[in-house]
Amino acid sequence: MRIHVRHETAYHYASPAKYIIQKLRLSPRSHDGQHIRRWRIEVDQDCRLMETSDAFGNIVHSFTLMGAFDSLSILVEGEVETEETSGVVRGTAERLPLELYLRETDLTEPNADIEAYARKFVRDDGNRLSMLHDMLVDLHEHITFDTNRTDSGTTAADAFALKHGVCQDFSHIFIAAARSLGLPARYIGGYLVQQNGVATSEAGHAWAEAHIPDLGWVGFDPSNGVCITDGYVRVAVGLDYLGAAPVRGSQVGGQSEDLKVAVHTENMAAQQ
Amino acid sequence: MLSRTADNLFWMSRYVERAENVGRILLAASRMANIPGADEGVSNEWESALAAAAARASFAETGQEPTAENVFEFLAFSEANPSSIRNCLRLARTNARAVRGALTLDTWEAINGAWLELHRYRTDDVSPSGLNRFIAWVKEVSLRVDGSAYRTMLRNDAYWFSRLGVYLERAENTARILDVKYHVLLPDSEPVGGGLDYFQWSAILRSVSALTAYHWVYRDSFKPWLIADLLILREEMPRSLASCYANLTVFLDELARTYGRQGDSQRHARRIYAQLRNARTDDIFQSGLHEFLTEFLAENNRLGAAITDQYLT
Repeated sequence: MRIHVRHETAYHYASPAKYIIQKLRLSPRSHDGQHIRRWRIEVDQDCRLMETSDAFGNIVHSFTLMGAFDSLSILVEGEVETEETSGVVRGTAERLPLELYLRETDLTEPNADIEAYARKFVRDDGNRLSMLHDMLVDLHEHITFDTNRTDSGTTAADAFALKHGVCQDFSHIFIAAARSLGLPARYIGGYLVQQNGVATSEAGHAWAEAHIPDLGWVGFDPSNGVCITDGYVRVAVGLDYLGAAPVRGSQVGGQSEDLKVAVHTENMAAQQ
Repeated sequence: MLSRTADNLFWMSRYVERAENVGRILLAASRMANIPGADEGVSNEWESALAAAAARASFAETGQEPTAENVFEFLAFSEANPSSIRNCLRLARTNARAVRGALTLDTWEAINGAWLELHRYRTDDVSPSGLNRFIAWVKEVSLRVDGSAYRTMLRNDAYWFSRLGVYLERAENTARILDVKYHVLLPDSEPVGGGLDYFQWSAILRSVSALTAYHWVYRDSFKPWLIADLLILREEMPRSLASCYANLTVFLDELARTYGRQGDSQRHARRIYAQLRNARTDDIFQSGLHEFLTEFLAENNRLGAAITDQYLT
């Protein structure tokens, strides 16, 4: 599928910001089934984007600004060609040993409830793929998608207790449960396009990947209850949301910032 | 466009590129053979030239000794060697003539002129200066064909097919040159940094015109892993594997866009390109440079076969 992505992050500051530093994990890498045709980042203030890659292999751009700024906007725009791979993700930049993806973080630390929940899915035949599929479907039914009940700092345990959350919370719960069963799992930030065309939203998408022996990394999207398809553009990998967050930064001054995010994805084939 | 026409365009430019690469290999071998002490090593420079040009087996059939005269004659002028420079230029011209209408006047004249001029070069002059003169001419031919296509051809499927031939052949040659010399790139082959190694490394770089580029990019003395990095993973280096595949994916995308459908060759090229983008030199050396290059050459051939299946037959 040919997918067009346009992701704009705009800040407006009530009082000018004097010093801004930002780290962007906004550039996808190509791998089997995902080819980046073109991709560019535009920052509306004069600055130098420094490109590095982090320990997970994510492409990271960072920049600093000094002066007085009322506003700042970061635009990412690109075109990606994807192929259906039945959820299996191969040919990625793997820099770290698998065991690292068993590490718990503050956002994905399982409590007794999540551990008990995860154990429900353990199967006698030891088939891990089916186990995770069952969990994926159950989570999707069990938890309600709701953008108002949680925020970006909500932990997996809290969201699980609330039974409400956004794609970030679904992914955190799934990751916490998988890790509590000894399965390496990680958080993926990216974009999702609907099969039939255009979508505009206020955030990108997030899902989880778990490592299955003999198969490799498999993408699970618990907020939709499916494995990933060719409608998913995979951008950043992390142990949790904080590790894969598209934009992180801080500034001096610039009180009461107003942040607007617009993500526009489009299946270009459907438009022709 | 008829698939036969596409096939002619693809092979026309592929043969010109091959002629240039054989020339570069000969030049590097002649330079190495003139370094004192080079003959005392285990391998003969002219034999590695044959290996780099993938002509070892066909040369063995002639039953000749791999001397400077014989190898130069075989790689440059022999009619028995299908990849000799003479045969490459002949085949490039045959292919070009078959699609004369799809070419611009400039491109056709560059190829036809090369074939006519070739007869001026004598086969018995193997002195370094004679060889240099000949190779300089071969490189110039390739530049003329490439440049006239770049400057005059319409950007449509005819141009894209001709580019596919260039980059597929170039990737194969860079990988083969690295593979023939991979043992000198391994850290523990010789006393590291020995005089002979220095010349071997510079010969590898010189054979792909990357000697100056190396110093610009790394600002460092020769390090085998940096040479491998430059020729495999650096996209800004125009003869590197990554750069060849960056181009291949672009031109295959153009074809897919024009014809409204994509297939195996696009998928295959993208996959190899992604692998090259995600790879690191450390990992390549860890799992074996030779294994990596062997695998790459096999993948590159598979892409050639996929392009043939999809478009050229």
